[in-house]
Amino acid sequence: MSVSHAADTEEYRAVFAGKVLEELQTILSRYPTKQAALLPALWVVQRERGWISDRNMAEVADALGITPASVKGVVTFYTMYHQHPVGRNFVQVCTTSPCNICGAEGVVKAFLEQTGAKDAGATSPDGKWTIIEVECLGACGFATPVLINDDFIENVTPDKVADLVKKYR
Amino acid sequence: MADQLINLTIDGVPVSVPPGTLVIEAAKQAGVLVPHYCYHPGLPVAGVCRMCLVEIEKAPKLQIACATAVTEGMVVKTQSVPAKDARQSVLEFLLINHPLDCPICDQAGECELQDFVFQEGRSGTRYGEYAKRFNPVEDFGPDVLYVPNRCILCTRCVRFMDDLAQEPVLNVSERGDRAYIGIHPEARLDHPWAGNVVDLCPVGSLLSKDFLHKARAWELDKTASICTGCSQGCSVTLDTRDEVVVRVRPRPNLDVNRYFICDHGRANYRWMNRGDRIEAPLVRRDGELHATDWDEAFARVLGILRGASGKAVALVSPGASTEALDLARRLLSAFEWTGAFQVVMGEEAPLPGVPNLALRAERAPNAKGAEQLGYTRDYAAAVKAAASAAVVLVLDDPDCPVETAGALIYAGTVLPPETACRAAQVVLPIANVAEEEGTFVNRDGRAQKYFQAKPAPGMARPAAWVLGELAAALGVAEARQ
Amino acid sequence: MGYPHKPHLKETVVLSQYFGDADMRTYKGWVKRGGYEALAQALKMTPVEVIEVVKESGLRGRGGAGFPTGLKWSFMPKEKKQPHYLCVNADESEPGTFKDREIMRWTPHALLEGTAIAAHAIQAEVAYIYIRGEFTEPWTIMEKALAEANAAGVFGKIKIVLHRGAGAYICGEETALMNSIEGKRGNPRIKPPFPAAAGLFGMPTTINNVETLTAVPHILKKGAAWYKGLCLSNPKSTGTKLFSVCGHVKRPGNYEVTMGFPLKDLLYDMCGGVPAGRTLKACIPGGSSVPILNREETERTLLDYEGCVTAGTMLGSGGVIVFDDSADMVYQIMRLARFYAHESCAQCTQCREGTAWTTKIMERILAGQGKMQDLDLLLDLSENMTGKTICVLSDSCAAPVVSGIKKFKNEFEDYIAGRRKPMMVA
Repeated sequence: MSVSHAADTEEYRAVFAGKVLEELQTILSRYPTKQAALLPALWVVQRERGWISDRNMAEVADALGITPASVKGVVTFYTMYHQHPVGRNFVQVCTTSPCNICGAEGVVKAFLEQTGAKDAGATSPDGKWTIIEVECLGACGFATPVLINDDFIENVTPDKVADLVKKYR
Repeated sequence: MADQLINLTIDGVPVSVPPGTLVIEAAKQAGVLVPHYCYHPGLPVAGVCRMCLVEIEKAPKLQIACATAVTEGMVVKTQSVPAKDARQSVLEFLLINHPLDCPICDQAGECELQDFVFQEGRSGTRYGEYAKRFNPVEDFGPDVLYVPNRCILCTRCVRFMDDLAQEPVLNVSERGDRAYIGIHPEARLDHPWAGNVVDLCPVGSLLSKDFLHKARAWELDKTASICTGCSQGCSVTLDTRDEVVVRVRPRPNLDVNRYFICDHGRANYRWMNRGDRIEAPLVRRDGELHATDWDEAFARVLGILRGASGKAVALVSPGASTEALDLARRLLSAFEWTGAFQVVMGEEAPLPGVPNLALRAERAPNAKGAEQLGYTRDYAAAVKAAASAAVVLVLDDPDCPVETAGALIYAGTVLPPETACRAAQVVLPIANVAEEEGTFVNRDGRAQKYFQAKPAPGMARPAAWVLGELAAALGVAEARQ
Repeated sequence: MGYPHKPHLKETVVLSQYFGDADMRTYKGWVKRGGYEALAQALKMTPVEVIEVVKESGLRGRGGAGFPTGLKWSFMPKEKKQPHYLCVNADESEPGTFKDREIMRWTPHALLEGTAIAAHAIQAEVAYIYIRGEFTEPWTIMEKALAEANAAGVFGKIKIVLHRGAGAYICGEETALMNSIEGKRGNPRIKPPFPAAAGLFGMPTTINNVETLTAVPHILKKGAAWYKGLCLSNPKSTGTKLFSVCGHVKRPGNYEVTMGFPLKDLLYDMCGGVPAGRTLKACIPGGSSVPILNREETERTLLDYEGCVTAGTMLGSGGVIVFDDSADMVYQIMRLARFYAHESCAQCTQCREGTAWTTKIMERILAGQGKMQDLDLLLDLSENMTGKTICVLSDSCAAPVVSGIKKFKNEFEDYIAGRRKPMMVA
């Protein structure tokens, strides 16, 4: 396998350096194989960079002694890893059946209207918001649950969305 | 041993197999091919295509033959209604997003999807007017294209790269019906054994650029041969169309190359088709080489051999057949003879997942055979000795830097403009490996036969025939071991 | 965030006793109420003795399959020759289910204690608790609880590690979860080998659901006989079970009842029934993967493993989804099919293609472009997707489709015949 970075003009800034590298060492100590640290390592990358680029994947692969292709196969399997930059506020609205019958589609609509994001999946023109519909967030009794970044918010109804958007703006 | 075997019946046929045998392999012994895609005997079991579902008596549901080990008294039914229905439904599911572009697909005619649909698929589609999944063709590596629309996600390619090549550059990306075979954008499928993914792909999803749109599978004649790329001696098939070699593919040989060949061997065939061949025997007359017939050429050679004495030197190709090398030795047996060969060296490239399988540094198929017959590797010394030898025989070694005061006899396939062999008294046109039958001895001492795939051009004949005629005339052929 | 309901009189509160009490999230609070006593007790017993108690209690897996827990533990090698692992399945993702989330949010130490006891019973030195990526709040709470418990040194040699998922329903399947911990795609593995022989990192492994393990400390403290005595119907189903009720009910939430409890009472008494002016139409009692019940069936179902089977469905994870007469069953079943199509790992042909195709047919029906033969086709595809794949995700997609067509066929036919206005664009 040959890996070339010829097309890259700007220098790559490693994620795993200094404190973050120490964090990776701690993660590695929890598992008997290096590869097992992949999911946690990807979470660290996403926390540090907001999303996971191909170059990031190559860096993680290198750090864990696996190939970039293996990393990419994993990144594309798990829906919570961003393969593209997303808005500063990443909003996940559950729209699976139990929430759907409790009005989840209205919540999505309200978020799109309030943030100016065009469609589910698109980022608002100001770059602040990405709204997506997700499958079951595991809080069906608290319909509609919404994840705004790492904040899990229960019982969201369309009329509560304006306040939420104000709060995170 | 017999009491250690497991007895079972498959479609009513009793078979006995060693413990641990998979049902799909045991079925082969019963003459039953269980349709399958992801299973390949050379790869770890994946059990994902679910095509090989069979009914096993007493099992609560259908089982996959590729991941079920035999048990004593097992009764397997591959043709029961539930088993056939299940397989038919897998075929239906595999086809709903398939482009059905067989007319322009390289795999057509040797496609397992085509074959099994033909055998037991539905006659029509129930998918209706739904749009099919579409992804563009991708360039995976030097010789591999990926056509995702035809992909059935059997993952043979991924497992080959993971477990055999041990360079996991392929993956399954995304999930559900959005899944496809992926490669990291900065990686290339350029492992020295990567081309095997094309053979392993049961459909027309992974294609060889070299073979792209070159021929239809049913137009090809297939000939068992041995790869000449190195001293490993992999079993191959030469695919010819209209007497032109168009493709080299691995031929299963569990002792040497299992199911695989390297990319070097795979690409090593164009020279077999070269057009600048010697097509007639040539003899030197008035200082010039003139075309003639075999009778005159033989007469000239016999004249040289009978009229000379003292030292003789044979400079031979380590790609010549054992038969030819043996006869060359015999022709010179009346002399004080030395024979030598030289081997082109390259980089060794193992296939890590298979013990003792590599593209060998020694890029010649029969160096071992030559050695066993008394030829040495001291080529320089032989070339030096040739200067003062009475007779020098060059066998298929056109670039040989030979200079001799004696008589030079050259048996070869080509006669390049600048070659020293142009000084020969007689030039004997011979067949190349694709044009003759013969034997190579690989690096481990295994003698392996190869067969003729196409005719030799013009009057060229296999070296063993040419040298055999001469040896017979000299009365030295009978003593063959 | 408070807990939305006070325990109902008919509840048998064991696991949920401290739900809503934030003090119980702390190590101090947990110990004050007798926490970690069961662990101390277990550590004085031999692994076999612990397994015997759990076996005797009749505890069965609460993740969905209902396999006897003690029996599962007993499959682990008695003589330890290589590392043993415990995996804790906190990847709660089954639509309709949100009980493990509450256990972790309110009583993280209960789960940690149960985990440590199980690890001792199967002689595992490391236990991985796999928490789904979306559970940010439970994660933080568990992380804090684990740090406190570690600081107190209650686990002895047992190491507990939290592992965060990243968005994949299928990782709730036991072998997929193991692949996920190993840093791979969450693909279910073919069996054999079974986890007790070769599981996580190829070593003997046991995997248990959060709710199952949380019951274990109670069983050790109060005895197997006590737990076994918690039974209203079939003696094979013992103890209490958390039911997550959602959808069209007045008081959704988690309710803990004794095994064998009538589903009718859960819905009408405890949850207050469907909203005013509506009537109950359908109910999925065990998470979205089990067959749908109509109203009659719902009202006669007893909530235990056998009772649900008698009613033609399964207890599953205990996620109860309620639909009143305002629900469009065709649309809801399409949503469920879409869920499975989204979550299919892509390994098995029937699942990869079948879940997506099923969704497309459903969408077409909803767009007013369905044909009557589509219903037969859906049933046939469902049959082809059932019992033929590595895991049961494709079976799970088929279950609501088959039961939906059987029980609410008129709603499908209304769309197909044009009696109902299309609600989607194909």
